Amino acid sequence: MQLWNNASIKLMEQTLDAATFRQKVIANNVANADTPYFKRSNVVFEELLAKELTKKSIQGYRTDPRHIPIGSAAQIEPQAVTDESTIMNNNLNNVDIDYEMALMAKNQLRYNVVVQQLGHELKMYRTALNGGR
Amino acid sequence: MKLTNGFDISSSALTAQRFRMDVIASNIANADTTRARLVDGRWVPYQRKMVRLEAVQSAPFSQILAKELKGSTGEGVRVTQVIEDPAPFKQVYNPNHPDADENGYVQMPNVDILKEMVDLMAATRSYEANVTALNATKAMIAKALEIGK
Repeated sequence: MQLWNNASIKLMEQTLDAATFRQKVIANNVANADTPYFKRSNVVFEELLAKELTKKSIQGYRTDPRHIPIGSAAQIEPQAVTDESTIMNNNLNNVDIDYEMALMAKNQLRYNVVVQQLGHELKMYRTALNGGR
Repeated sequence: MKLTNGFDISSSALTAQRFRMDVIASNIANADTTRARLVDGRWVPYQRKMVRLEAVQSAPFSQILAKELKGSTGEGVRVTQVIEDPAPFKQVYNPNHPDADENGYVQMPNVDILKEMVDLMAATRSYEANVTALNATKAMIAKALEIGK
């Protein structure tokens, strides 16, 4: 149904997925803050999304949903990238607990913003369904 | 998407840090223990213990599968071994001690209280950080339940 395949809802779903994934990655970084030789991971998503959204390339016009999309947005997946280049501790660990906590707070705020926005979007549908009452 | 995995990750770290605290408590409690083990008829003092932490990696198959499906995260941390500090015992001159040798020296455990207190603080802080991470994950799940309300 066209209503639920709304581009912005899909986009928000993806952002929520990415935030959840990032939360897991940060939790793992914090959990391994004392583990020798552990290297922290980072999640890359917003950059990929921005690149995808601002992309100006030719897109294949599809007359059938089963057609293979040409040049258009494939599903953007959040990617975990391990930072192997830095050292934070004597035991070659590179988790900076302050940075991780700040990142987590930021991620949580972002998550809350998107949830609120999604709720708002759905509320507008409800308003429409109730005939504006 | 499997959200609850964040719980497992943080709780594994809570378990590991609590275990580390137990080991530190044991070290502090035994800082003056001269009779920990009987080796060849002689008492050996308590030897300081340390934990070895290791990142948990998922099994190769599920790791590859997860990587193909979606980016995979680690799965927390665990204690793999308790190792004994090989540092030499402290020699204390105390001829009246029942475990003193013929020269009047007593072998005391190689526990440094200062070091243990610092380790204890580090473990506590780590524990707190993981509790915060756990609460953040919980708050996110609670927030997700508000969608559409």
